[in-house]
Amino acid sequence: MAPKQKAGQKPKPNTAEEVEETFQAVVLADTFETRFEPFTRDKPRCLLPLANTPIIEYTLEFLANAGVEEVFLYAGAHSDQLEKYINASKWRAPSSPFKQLTFLKSTSTSVGDVMRDLDAKHVITGDFIVVSGDVISNLPIEGALAQHRARRALDKNAIMTMVLREAGLQHRTKSTSVSPVFVIDPTQDRCLHYEEIDRHPHEEQSSRLNIDAEIILKHPELDIRQDLIDCSIDICTPDVLSLWSDSFDYQSPRKHYLYGVLKDYELNGKTLHTYIIKDQYAARVRNLKAYDAVSKDILSRWTYPLCPDTNLLPGHSYTLRKGSMYQETGVTLARSCVIGRRTVIGQGTSIGDRAEVHNSVLGRNCKIGRNVNLNGSYIWDNVVIGDNSDIRGAIIADGVVIGRSCAVEAGSLLSYGVKIADNIWVEKGKRITKTRNDGGVAKNDPQVVGDDGEGYEFIHGEEDEDEDDDVSIASSGLVYRMPNLSLSTASISTLSSEISDASWTRSDGGSFSADEEDNFHHDASVSLFDSLREGVAADVVQLELVTLRMSANASDNQVRRAIVSSFMKHIQQLMEGGKGAGPAVSEVFTAYKEVVERTLFDRNKEEKKDQVDLLLCLQNDLIHRNKGDMVLLFTAKSLYELDLIEEEAYDQWWNDERSSNSEEMRTVRSQTQQFVDWLAEAEEESSEEESEEESEGSDDE
Amino acid sequence: MPSSSLALTPGLGSFLKCLKTNPIDTSIETLISLLKRRQIRHSRSCATATAYLLRSVISACRTTDSAKLIERVQSVGRRLMAAQPREMVVGNIVRRVLGLIRDEAEDDRDAEFALSDIGSESQPQTPRAYDDASLPLDRDSPSFRAEDRSSRPPLTSMFSLLSHPEPENSLPSTPGSSSPSGRFTGHGPSKDVRAEVLEGIGEIIDELGQVDDQIAAYALDHIHSNEIILTHTSSTTVQKFLLKAAVKRKFTVIHAESYPNNHEATHATVSGSAVSDDDNLGLEAFQKPLIEHGITVILIPDSAVFALMSRVNKVILGTHSVLANGGLVAAAGTRVIARAAKVHQTPVVVVSGVYKLSPVYPFDFDSLIEYGDPSKVLPYEEGDLVDLVDVQNPIYDYVPAELVDLYITNLGGHAPSYLYRIVSDHYRKEDISF
Repeated sequence: MAPKQKAGQKPKPNTAEEVEETFQAVVLADTFETRFEPFTRDKPRCLLPLANTPIIEYTLEFLANAGVEEVFLYAGAHSDQLEKYINASKWRAPSSPFKQLTFLKSTSTSVGDVMRDLDAKHVITGDFIVVSGDVISNLPIEGALAQHRARRALDKNAIMTMVLREAGLQHRTKSTSVSPVFVIDPTQDRCLHYEEIDRHPHEEQSSRLNIDAEIILKHPELDIRQDLIDCSIDICTPDVLSLWSDSFDYQSPRKHYLYGVLKDYELNGKTLHTYIIKDQYAARVRNLKAYDAVSKDILSRWTYPLCPDTNLLPGHSYTLRKGSMYQETGVTLARSCVIGRRTVIGQGTSIGDRAEVHNSVLGRNCKIGRNVNLNGSYIWDNVVIGDNSDIRGAIIADGVVIGRSCAVEAGSLLSYGVKIADNIWVEKGKRITKTRNDGGVAKNDPQVVGDDGEGYEFIHGEEDEDEDDDVSIASSGLVYRMPNLSLSTASISTLSSEISDASWTRSDGGSFSADEEDNFHHDASVSLFDSLREGVAADVVQLELVTLRMSANASDNQVRRAIVSSFMKHIQQLMEGGKGAGPAVSEVFTAYKEVVERTLFDRNKEEKKDQVDLLLCLQNDLIHRNKGDMVLLFTAKSLYELDLIEEEAYDQWWNDERSSNSEEMRTVRSQTQQFVDWLAEAEEESSEEESEEESEGSDDE
Repeated sequence: MPSSSLALTPGLGSFLKCLKTNPIDTSIETLISLLKRRQIRHSRSCATATAYLLRSVISACRTTDSAKLIERVQSVGRRLMAAQPREMVVGNIVRRVLGLIRDEAEDDRDAEFALSDIGSESQPQTPRAYDDASLPLDRDSPSFRAEDRSSRPPLTSMFSLLSHPEPENSLPSTPGSSSPSGRFTGHGPSKDVRAEVLEGIGEIIDELGQVDDQIAAYALDHIHSNEIILTHTSSTTVQKFLLKAAVKRKFTVIHAESYPNNHEATHATVSGSAVSDDDNLGLEAFQKPLIEHGITVILIPDSAVFALMSRVNKVILGTHSVLANGGLVAAAGTRVIARAAKVHQTPVVVVSGVYKLSPVYPFDFDSLIEYGDPSKVLPYEEGDLVDLVDVQNPIYDYVPAELVDLYITNLGGHAPSYLYRIVSDHYRKEDISF
C-alpha cells in the first residue's frame, strides 16, 4: 500500500506548482511608532522577547506555517541588530522553509515609504502577504488566500484582503484607545468604509462615525463592526503597491491607505475585502498593553502550537507542567518558594526561599532573592532582584539590578541595565532608562533610582501626541483595567444625528459631506494661507489646491470652506497691518480670482447653489472674526465687481433661511443689507438687455 | 474553492516530496519544524514521515560500520523526539530502525561465525545473545549490558515456547522473522549492512500501510451479529475494523462525537462525507461509510455515554499510542468511556497497530498529555471570560491498563498484561532509553 500512497501524494503538489507563483511575504519589522519606548531605544521592537522568544520569531513562524517561500524583511531602527539576529537564526539556514529571505534596510519613516520603496524595487511578482513584524497567529492562511484568489479571478479590482479576528465587544487583546471600525458589506465581504475612533471612556459623545450616504443607499446590507481585532495581515495584489505609489502622502496602512482608497472608490474603482476569522488566533503586539495580553494568551495556549513548550528557538527546552507552568531545564528553585500558575521560567534562573511568582515570565539567568513577590511581571534575561522586593505588573529589561526591599508598581518599565538601589519605591507607570535619545548615557537621577542606582526617568517625547493616551492605557493596561465603553450602537445613533446636524453644510442634495474633514480642511487652509502670505501666483495656488483636493477626495464645499477661511485669515492680517477692509478685500480677491472661480460651477444654472454656498461659508467664517460684518460687505461687493457672484445668487442667499437662522448670522450680515438693497434697486432700474448682456459676458469668461 | 490553494500549507505530502530533492540535513530540520508546528500530526503520519526520513538518513550515510550508523540514527532520533515528545510513535520507529541495524550487524557476525561453525545456523538466538555482549557499539553502561546478557536468552526462548505461531507469518517485518533473509544473503563479511537495513525500513513502511487491513482481518472474531458497539473518534483503524465486520454481519454502532477536538471529523465519518483528514491516506480515500453497508450508526454526545453503556455489548476504541504497561494514551474522552464500561462490565477492546506500542513506561502521566488550543472549549471572543478563566483543552487522556480488556494489534489479540512481551519482541533493550 505504501507505493500507492506515494503515487497518491505526488501529483497533488505537482499540479499545485503549475498554478502557483512563488508565494511572497513582506514583513514590516519596524512599525514606525514609539510605543515601546524606552526599550526600543536599545533594541528593535521585533527582537523584544515575548514569553522569552523574540517577537519576530512568531511572525516568521506564522509565515512558514502559511507556506510562504520568499520573505522580504524591512528593517527600520536598529537594522544592524536585526540583521545580525536574522543571519544567525534558523531562517537563514539551508533548512529554512523560506527559499529566499531578503533583508532590506530602509531609511523610511513610515509604512507608506516602505511600500513605495518596494514598488520601486519591482520584486513582487504575484499575490503577497504584508504583515507587520509583531504578528502572532496560528492561522493557516489558505482559506483567506483561496478566497482572495477566487475573488481576484472574477474581478481584477479586488486588490486586497484583510484578515480580521472576531473578538467580542471587550477583549484584552483589542486596542482600547483607538478602535478601528469597519463597515462591511457581508454579502461580498467588502470593506466599504474604515475609520478609527478614539475611545475616551469618560467623554460622552466622542465616538462618531461618518459614513457616506451613498454607501448606505447602495448596499442593502451593512455590518458596522467594532468587535474586530485588526491583526494587520493583508493579502495583496501588486496593484496595492502602485496605489501606494500614486498617493505619495499616505503614511499608515490603515488610517491613510485603507481610508483613502475606500474614499476614492469612485476614482480608482478598487475594492478591498475582509476575511473574518472566528477560530484561530491572530493578534498584534501593537503596544505594551497588547504585549501583556498576548503574553497571557501565549501562556494559556490560545496561540497553540506557538507556545513556550514548542521551543521555537533552537536551544530552548521548555516543558509544560500542570497549571500552565513552563520551565526550562536547569532552573533552581528554593524548596520553600511558590511558583504559581501561568509562569515561564528560563534556564539558569534561581529563585530564593519563600519567594512567590505568579502570572509572570522570567528569562534566563535571573537571580530572584528571598521573599520576593513577583506578580504579573515580565522579567527578561540576567535580571537580579534583591531580597524582600515586591514587583507587580512591571516590565524589566535585560540586565536590570533591583536592590533589596524595593517596590516596583504596576506599569513601570525598567529599561536595559538600569540599577535601582535598596529601599526604593518605583511609582506606578514610571519609565526608567539609561540610554538617551541620541544613544549617549545620561546622568543618573538619584531621586528616581537611589544613590547607588543608575538611570533616569524617561519622559515620553512630544512628537506623538496621539500616543499619549496609548501610554496611559498601556500602563493602566498592565493593571488589568478595561475601560467600559459604549460601542457600535452609539456610533450608529450618532450617525443619524450627524446627518441632521450637518444640514447646513449640505452642498448639493446627494452627498452628506460632513463638516469634520478636518485633515483636508486643516491642510488646505494652512497651505493656502501660507501661499497668500508669500504672494505665490494664483495658478500655483490653484494647482496645490487641486492636488490636496484629489488626495483627500474633498467635496467642493470643503474646498470653498478652506478657501474662505484662508482668505479671510489673510485679509484679517492685512487689516491688522493697517490696511482698510475695502482695499484688503479687493486686493486679495483680485489677485486670486481664478482660485475662487474654479470652485463655482453654477454659472448657467437657474439655482446658484455653489455661489450661495460660498456666501454662506463666508458668512459663517466671518462670525468669529473681528469686524466680520464690514469684511462681509466689502467681500460681497468685490465678488460682485469681479463677476464671481451674480445678483441672483445674492438674492437667493439673502432669502435663504440658513443665512438668517441664528443671531450671529443676522448680525454679521447686517452691514451687507445696504449692498443687497442697492443691488435690488440697480436691478429694478437696469433694463433687461443690460442684465442679459452681463450674464452673457460672464459666460464668456 | 479553486484548486490554486492546493498543498500550500506544508504537511506530510510536501515533506515526502522534498525529501527526495533536499539534502538530508535540511530534511531533518524540516521534519523537526513540521513536528513542532504540529503540521504533521496523528500517529501514522508521524510514523510514516519518520520511517521515510530514516531511510534517507541511512542511504545518505556512506558507511558500512554499523556502529556509526547506530550513532547517526540515534542522534537524529533524539532530535526528532525532542521536537514533539508526545508523538511517541516517532521514538518507536527510531527504536525499531536501531533494532534493525543491530540485528543486521549481529547477523553479519553471525554469518562470519557460521562460516566456521555451520551447526549454529539452526539456532539463531544463542549466537545473537553472544554477539550482544561482544558488540563494540553498545552505548549503554556496562552494568546494563551485563543484565542484558543474562536476561535475554531465557526471555527469547520462553517466547518461542509461548508465542502464537500465526503472527510470525503474517508480519514479515518483525526482527525475528526478518533475520532469516539476512542470513541467506549475508555470506561475506563485506556485506553491506545498509542495504539490509533499508530493506527492513521498507518493510516497516509497508507495515504502516497495511496495518489497518491486518487488524481488520480479526474483526469477524470479535464482532458478532446484533451486537451494539460503542466507539469514539474518527479513527481509521476502528472504521476499517467495523467495515470489515459489516460486510458479513449486522450490528449497531453507537458513535460518541468526541467534542471538541475531533467532532467535525467524527461527524464526517458517520455521515460518509469525510475527505480523509489524515493526509497520509492519499489515494486510499475513505471507503463507503458504515451506513451504506446497512449498519445503524447512532451519533451521540459524549455526555450520553454512561447512560447508554448499559445497553452496549462492546466498546471498541482507537488510540494515540499504547504504553509498555498496557495503559494507553488516546483522544480525550476515552478514559470516561473506559470507566463507564468498567462500571457496566462491558468489555473494552482497543485496536492499534504494533507501531503505536511504545516501550516507554508512563511514570509521569501528565507529561504524556498534550494540551491544545482552548478556543475549542471557550470561544476567544468571550473577552471577559478569557481574561478571568483558565481554560484547558487536553487532547489526550491516559487510560490505565485495568480499564482495557483486550488489545487487537496486527499480530492478533493480546491481554494488556501481555503487551510487555510484544515490546520486548519489537524493541531491543539497549534502545529503550537511548
